[in-house]
Amino acid sequence: MLVVIQTTVIPHLRVFDAGPDLVLLATIAVAYEEGPDTGAIFGFASGLTLDLFLATPLGCSALAFAVVGYLVGVFQGGMLRPSGWVAPVLGAVGGLAGNSLFVVVASIAGEDGLLNGHSVKIIVVASLYDAVLARLVFPIGRWAAHDPDALPR
Amino acid sequence: MVVYRRDTRRRYVLALLIVTSLVLISLDSGGSGIIGSLRSAARDVIAPVQNLVDDAFNPIRNWVNDVTDAGKLRSENEALRKQIDELQGKVNRDKAVGSEVGQLEQLLDLPTIEDATGVAARVIGGAAGNFQRTVEIDRGTGSGIDVGMPVVTGAGLVGTVQEASHSRATVRLIDDPGTNGGGVGVRTERARVQGIAVARAGDRLLHMSFIEDPAKADIKKGELVFTSATKDAAYPPDIAVAKVVSIDRRNGDLEPDVALQPVVDLDRLVFVKVLRWPETGGSNGATSDGGSSG
Repeated sequence: MLVVIQTTVIPHLRVFDAGPDLVLLATIAVAYEEGPDTGAIFGFASGLTLDLFLATPLGCSALAFAVVGYLVGVFQGGMLRPSGWVAPVLGAVGGLAGNSLFVVVASIAGEDGLLNGHSVKIIVVASLYDAVLARLVFPIGRWAAHDPDALPR
Repeated sequence: MVVYRRDTRRRYVLALLIVTSLVLISLDSGGSGIIGSLRSAARDVIAPVQNLVDDAFNPIRNWVNDVTDAGKLRSENEALRKQIDELQGKVNRDKAVGSEVGQLEQLLDLPTIEDATGVAARVIGGAAGNFQRTVEIDRGTGSGIDVGMPVVTGAGLVGTVQEASHSRATVRLIDDPGTNGGGVGVRTERARVQGIAVARAGDRLLHMSFIEDPAKADIKKGELVFTSATKDAAYPPDIAVAKVVSIDRRNGDLEPDVALQPVVDLDRLVFVKVLRWPETGGSNGATSDGGSSG
């Protein structure tokens, strides 16, 4: 469903050529709730699904999202108690890391025209977008991790 | 000890996922038919859901466009009326030479855009990722579309079919730096000097790279460039591609930097036509429905 929204709705919401990465945000949310193992596996599976609809080689998003999911899960393990600022900060940092890793991996895989200033601009704008939407996506991720108190009643 | 074993197991899981990703990347980069089939199947599976979401979002999108564009519409209307008058004059002039060109084309057996039939399609979505310039259309191989076919609107060139499943196709736009391995073969409107219109990352404008002596072109701002007529061309000839918007001549440069704006508004595509080109069939070497490029 996130991939459908990503291909049909998100293109119309782009600002400065960048849109939010719903699939990456979902990975970050799940990794934050469930830890590095689940985060990495969810990131791999969701990234692979997204790759089926991208022009870049299959596996680029899977690799980037798996690594981000793992790192967010490790970070989550080191937190003593949750805080309200975690969602937007993780959304922004995760978006920066995930998109940067994707660009590097896709470039190594042979995609032209990615390593340039325009991609940097897209990554920064997308991560800001991700920070804003993280507050919506994190409760959904918590609910998906079977926490009935996650969504507002 | 428990923590050590858990951390080690996590690293094995991550390493396995990374290795699997790298294997998939290698397979897809090498043109694996299985991965192509998976892509096609995935597109066809979500196609009905995409249609529903697109139908639901269309009225909202149109309303937002109407509200945000209201201020521009009046001035656009006046500019368009003036343009219509100019174009009518040009059509009349072209009629005077059209019959001569037609006779020459017949003599040389050159293919023309009139020889190409096509499939009309609706644009139902944009690129899923932030780093590509593509659109999704609601027709695929089931309608006779194949990878490598050119895509046009009434105004001019849009791009090329990059991937196609049974009911969907992805069109790579001409301002994507990866289009056609680096550019569209074009000729200038007046002097018919040959060149290549190349896209650059982050720039919606194309840039002209001359094949022939640029001094012969005497290129002017506002001049159009069209697809060129060459053997085995990727596009039918004489399709409008872009308009010259700036010419930057610097001392020491071998050729001027000519910036071109596509004649088609690639951000507002609704309906397009996929041309069956070349008519004898065959793609430009990319994959389609899981087939490898050979």
